[in-house]
Parts: sequence; structure tokens; C-alpha cells
Amino acid sequence: MKKLFTIAWKDAIIRFASSSELLFFIILPIFFTFLLAGGTPSGNEDTRIRLVVVDQADTSISREIFAELEKSTAVRPEYFPLEEAEEMFEARRASSLLIIPAGLDIASIQNGTAELDFRKQPNNLNATVAERAVQTAIRRVSSSIGAANMALEEAKARGTFESREDEQAYFNESLELAQTLQADAPERVTVIEGSTPDQVEYDPRANSSAGQLITWVFIPLFGISALFAYERQQGTLRRILTTPTSKATYLFGTIAGQVFMALIQMSLLVLFGIFVMGLGWGRDLPALFVILLCAALAAGAIGTAMGTFVKTESQASGLSIMAGMVMALLGGCWYPLELFPAAVQNIVKILPTTWAMQGMLDLVLRNGGLVEILPEAGVLLGFAALFFGVGVMRFRYE
Amino acid sequence: MLKLFIIGIKDLKIIFRDRAALILMLLAPFLLTLGMGLVTGRFSGSSTGISDIPVIIVNLDKEQLGNALEEVFTGEELAGLVEPTLSESPEAARKAIDEDTAAAAIIIPAGFTRSVIPQQGAFDEEPEALKIEVYANPARPTGAGIVKSIVDEFISRIEEGRISGQTSIVQMIMSGRISPQEGEQAGMEMAERLEDSPSSETLAIKLNTDTNEAEAVEFDVLAYLAPGMALMFLMFTVTYGGRSILAEKAQGTLPRLLVSPTQAAQILGGKVFGIFLTGVAQMLILIGATTLLFQLKWGDPLGVLVLVLAAVFGASGWGMFITAIARTPGQVASVGSAIMLIFGILGGSFISLEMMPPVVQMVSKITPNAWALDGFTTLALGGTLPHLSTPITALLTMGLILFVIAVVLFGKKNLVTK
Repeated sequence: MKKLFTIAWKDAIIRFASSSELLFFIILPIFFTFLLAGGTPSGNEDTRIRLVVVDQADTSISREIFAELEKSTAVRPEYFPLEEAEEMFEARRASSLLIIPAGLDIASIQNGTAELDFRKQPNNLNATVAERAVQTAIRRVSSSIGAANMALEEAKARGTFESREDEQAYFNESLELAQTLQADAPERVTVIEGSTPDQVEYDPRANSSAGQLITWVFIPLFGISALFAYERQQGTLRRILTTPTSKATYLFGTIAGQVFMALIQMSLLVLFGIFVMGLGWGRDLPALFVILLCAALAAGAIGTAMGTFVKTESQASGLSIMAGMVMALLGGCWYPLELFPAAVQNIVKILPTTWAMQGMLDLVLRNGGLVEILPEAGVLLGFAALFFGVGVMRFRYE
Repeated sequence: MLKLFIIGIKDLKIIFRDRAALILMLLAPFLLTLGMGLVTGRFSGSSTGISDIPVIIVNLDKEQLGNALEEVFTGEELAGLVEPTLSESPEAARKAIDEDTAAAAIIIPAGFTRSVIPQQGAFDEEPEALKIEVYANPARPTGAGIVKSIVDEFISRIEEGRISGQTSIVQMIMSGRISPQEGEQAGMEMAERLEDSPSSETLAIKLNTDTNEAEAVEFDVLAYLAPGMALMFLMFTVTYGGRSILAEKAQGTLPRLLVSPTQAAQILGGKVFGIFLTGVAQMLILIGATTLLFQLKWGDPLGVLVLVLAAVFGASGWGMFITAIARTPGQVASVGSAIMLIFGILGGSFISLEMMPPVVQMVSKITPNAWALDGFTTLALGGTLPHLSTPITALLTMGLILFVIAVVLFGKKNLVTK
């Protein structure tokens, strides 16, 4: 027991020899958790197509058009200066561009000179949708004026007006009537929301907390391989042969030490999740301990197995970062697994990160307990047994 | 100049012989790009764009307006946007939405046309307003919203026609231009005229639509993800190069070079040139590999090349700055790895910057990743070199400022001394 503790303590000293290790142990994980919790799509964000609007008129009519566009279910208008808007459009960062030219007012609509410029990228469906939304908005804003204009034209077609004043009075009366009719217009569309079940169980805070916890704990546990490579390069592994220490004691001491440190790191991140992000990590502490321990054992076992394949410390270090990041990505730690194509969702079940993520989400997102996380814990222990087996079989002091 | 070039090429060869470095320089960004492609459905044909929105139309009206709305959805104009299916049963349509097989169902009630346009002889009666039902799928909010907007536009068009007609007729009757008995006939004539005129011409505000003449480009999601990953690991490469300067100093090989007739500036310049060359080689290899293996179109080749050079210059500036403030190669390695990850997330390699809070978007401007990714996205969307003036200027300025600071700090540390 004393030997195990000594080996683990030695590894801790090596790992934290540089204070920069704290960056990776706690600072960066918290930074990433915090950013991704606020930055990943929550499902409640505005998914409407962005419409770049340049308002050179700045009149009540131009503002009405913008207000109508804001009500649209399809587009999300945003004001930009002309130069910036044109640059975005030219660079194709905007699918469409609406320019409301100076001089757009009621008088210009009345005398039929009111025009808007709409530019759209070719064969772009977003631009087509935006064009329709713009047509709807200007129709709503101008329809009563258009109706009054038409009434005037119809009247002119059936007789002349005695004076310009009479003509204007006729227009004004028609406009008033059209506005009344428009205000009294009945609703002709009703929207009923279906009862389609939402397939994606997602909370950006819970997903980010669990996902980043796994990412930042798995990478250093895979880094056990670097510890072995370091000691092999330094020749200290061979020196252990001269002491009455068995291979199993050495391996167990190394792994137990790293797993213990991983549990401390995970606990800190869990506490951050509970106290800063308000997540329910602590609802079932025994279940939480089981899933954290199983995840750490699985990752530690993979690190042990990897350590028997790599030759140098830097190789092991690079490999552990790469494997950690790729497994985290594919395991659903960065983006919800439910968004992946169905075939990919099945394939990634071969990864421990997938099971660790599912187990942790069972606890923190789905309010599960020990019974719910048992399947994931079982699979993670399976990974641990398999890779420890490989590691022990292949382990050499030289 | 030759010495500078020789030192640079020597460092390039050393780094490309280091298998461990190659893992993070080439293999990691390549595998992460592959992973990103898998999870976004880029390799399985799943579309994340807005097209072929499945919509079910139940036309129980079977008259003028119901048929017109049906034609709007089944016509050529919306052929790429919606994928309509006709159904006779409102219940079946709603059930299909509940089962998530379509984005929305449009149920046009029987008698809808007559509720808007009074029948001949019934002009005096105010018909009961019937409503078109849009049964929306909450799991597909964007598609359902677009369907709703198409129906809204259709309704606003017919309302505009109705209000115009009613205003004209009522006003003419009120002014004595026609008799109440002639009103119905005048209304029918107006309706026929309106029906014949294209919809846009009836707008009181004319909408001049101009389609960009350039060739249409469909955005490939991988064109955002691949440069994002390549740029993140570019930061590893430039700090790795910086680490080698301090390692050579520690091992004494850097001062030893000064025994030869080589100036300190040439040695340092050669080392920096080596870092720059390595970064360019890394980016070009990744671009080449993703072009060949994933058929990824990066865009205008000249634009890509100039942007790569500018991005590597900007990133090298950071590499030299980190080297200048660090004391040991180990410090460069750990700070470099941390910066690589921080710049990766701030620069949009993990999540599009548009989804980030405004303050993060502002802070991201200090990263070469954000500027370069902006440039690569522009190129992938069909932009060319002239469109890249802003990101290229920003990257070159960033690199220049950081190099100047690094040189001043190197001078203070007497990095290259005999």
C-alpha cells in the first residue's frame, strides 16, 4: 500500500512540477465549459434567415417596413451601413440585401415613384425566402396607400375631377377607408403547433459541463502513456527492476494515482457546475461517484495500453491530445449526439467517451439515478478491463 | 540571405522528421476535420441547408383561392425550396406532422374562396371569415416558419386585392360615379384585371430585384470546419518552432552558430523563416489533402495562397511573442498548447463566432484564427483575392506588431549572444 502511495505521489510531483499544469487541470476546462455553455445552440435561439437592411430614408415608412420585417417568421432584419452591407454581400456573407433609398415617404408612394432595391445571391434559397418576406412587409405597409391610389385611378377612368383639390380629397377619403378596412381585416391564417416530440434532449449548460469534464479528464488520463514513455526514456523503469516491486504494483500505483487526480479534477469541475452553473450534479452522489470512477478507469486503461505502443514522451503527448479531442468530438462531448447522422450515432458507440457522456447526461440532464447509469458504467468498466488487459500483457520495462 | 534560407530549410526538415510533431501538425487536424465532417453529415449526404422543406397541402376549398395557394406551393418558383405532398385528409396531415414526417401542413377549409370573394348576388352580405390552418412541426421551426411566411404573403396579396377593390367600389358609389347596382359588376371587372397583372406590379412600393451576376456557390460546411482545425493546429506549429529556439539556446547550439561568420540577425531570421516555412507547408498539405480526399473546394487558388501566407505570418508573430516572454522550452510548449486551444475556441474552430456573445466576438479579433477563418469562408463562398483585403491587412498588421515586440524582448534577453 505504501508503495502504491509513493508511486502515485511521485507521479503527482512530476505532473505538477510546472505551475502551468494548473492551466490544463482547472483553468482551461472552466474557460471552455463557460464559453461553450453560452455559445452552443440551445434550440431557443433565433433561427430566422438574416436580412441585411440599409435604411437611407430614415422615414416613418422605412421604419414601418423594418418593423414589419421584424414580425416575420422567416427573416431577421439587421441594420447595417451601406458600405459594410455591400462588402458583406460582395463577399457572399449575406444572401440578400435590402436597400431603402433616401426619399421613400408617403408622397413618393402616392405618386408611384417609391422603389426599394433588393439584391440577392443567385440560386440561393435563403435569398428567395427573404425576397418573399420583403414583399409581404412592403405590401402590408403600403397596401392602404396602394388601395387609395387604385380607387383614384378607377374614379379617374370614369370621369374627371373638377380640381386638383377634389382629386386629393378623393384620395384622402379613399386612404381613410382603406386604412379602416385594413384595420378591420379578419385573421385568415391560424397557426397550430403540432405535438411532435422533440428528439433532441439538450441543455447547453449541462452538455457543456459534462462534455468538457470528459474532454479535459480523458486527455491527461490518456497521457499516462507519456508517463510510461518518460520513465522508459529516463531509464527509471529499468531501475525499478532492481527493487522488490512487481509489474502489477508499479502499473496499479501509476494508474491509481492518475485516476485519483482525475477524480479530484472532475470533482472541481462538478462543483463549478453545481455552484456557478446551477446544475443538478449532486442529486445522486453514489451514482455520480460510480460514473466518474468508471469513466476515469476506462480512460486510464486506454492510456496504459497506449503507453505500451508509443516510443517517446512527445509522441505519447501528441497522441493523447489528438485521441482525446477526436474521441470527445465523436462521443458527443462538444455537440449533441442526437444531431449526428443515424449511422454515425451507432458507430460512435465503440468509444468510451460516448458512454461516459450518456451516463453523465443521465444524471445531470435526465435526472437519472444509480439504476439509470448502470448500463453505461458497465460498458465503461468493460473498456477498462479490456485495455488494462492489453496494457498489462504488453508492458515492458525497456 | 542564403544563410537565412539554409537555416530555415534545416529547421523545416527537422520538424518534418519528428513523428511526434507530425501527429499534432497534420494528423490531429486531419482527423478532427474528418470527425467534424462525419458528425455534420457532410460525408453521409445529410443536408443542413434550407431546401426541400416537406409540406403537406390539404385543399378542401377546391376553388379559385384554394387552388391558387396550392399552385404557389407546387409551382416552379418554389420547386427547390419546398417539397409539397397533396392530401385529402386534415387528420392524416396532422398525424404526419406529429410523427415528424413534414415541417408543416396547410389545411385550406372548404368555402375559403367564398369567405373572401363574395359570390355573385351576395355582395351585400359580409361572409364569415374562414381561416387557413398551418399545422406547424415544433421540431422543425425554420421550415415551418418559412411555410408560414409563404402563406402569409399569399394572404396579404389577396387582402390587398380585396381592400383595393372594396375601397374603389365604395368610393365610387359614395361619390355617385356608379350606382349601387353597378357596384357588383364593377367589382367583378376589377377582380379580373387584378388577376391578370403580375403580383409585384400591384405593389405601391416597387421592389427592384437584382441578382448577383456571379456564379452561384453552394456552401460546403467542411469549408468552414477544415480551415478552423488547420488554423488551430497552426498555432501548435509556430510555438513548436519558437520552442526550438530556446532549446537550441539551452543546448548551446545557438551561440555555437555565432562562431561561424554568421550574424545574430541572420540566425534569428533563419529560425523565424523556418517557422514560417513549416506553417505554410502544414497549411498547404492540409489544404491539398482535404481537396483530394474530401473534394473540398477552398476557392480562388491565388486568394487561398495569399491568405495562407498572411495567416502563417500572423500566427508566427504570436509564436515569436510567446517565445520571447517564455524562459524555458517547456514553458513555450505548455503556454503554446493553451494558446492553441484558447485561440481555437475564440477563433471559431469549435463553434461559429456568430453564436458567441458579442464580447467574445470582439476578443476574437486578437486571434489570427478568426481573421483567417473569415477569409477562408469568404473564399469558399466564391470570393476572390480582392475580397480579402480586411483579413489579410489584419493578419499582416498583427504579425508585424508581434514581431517588433518579440525582437525588442529578444534584444533585452540577449537571446543570440556569443
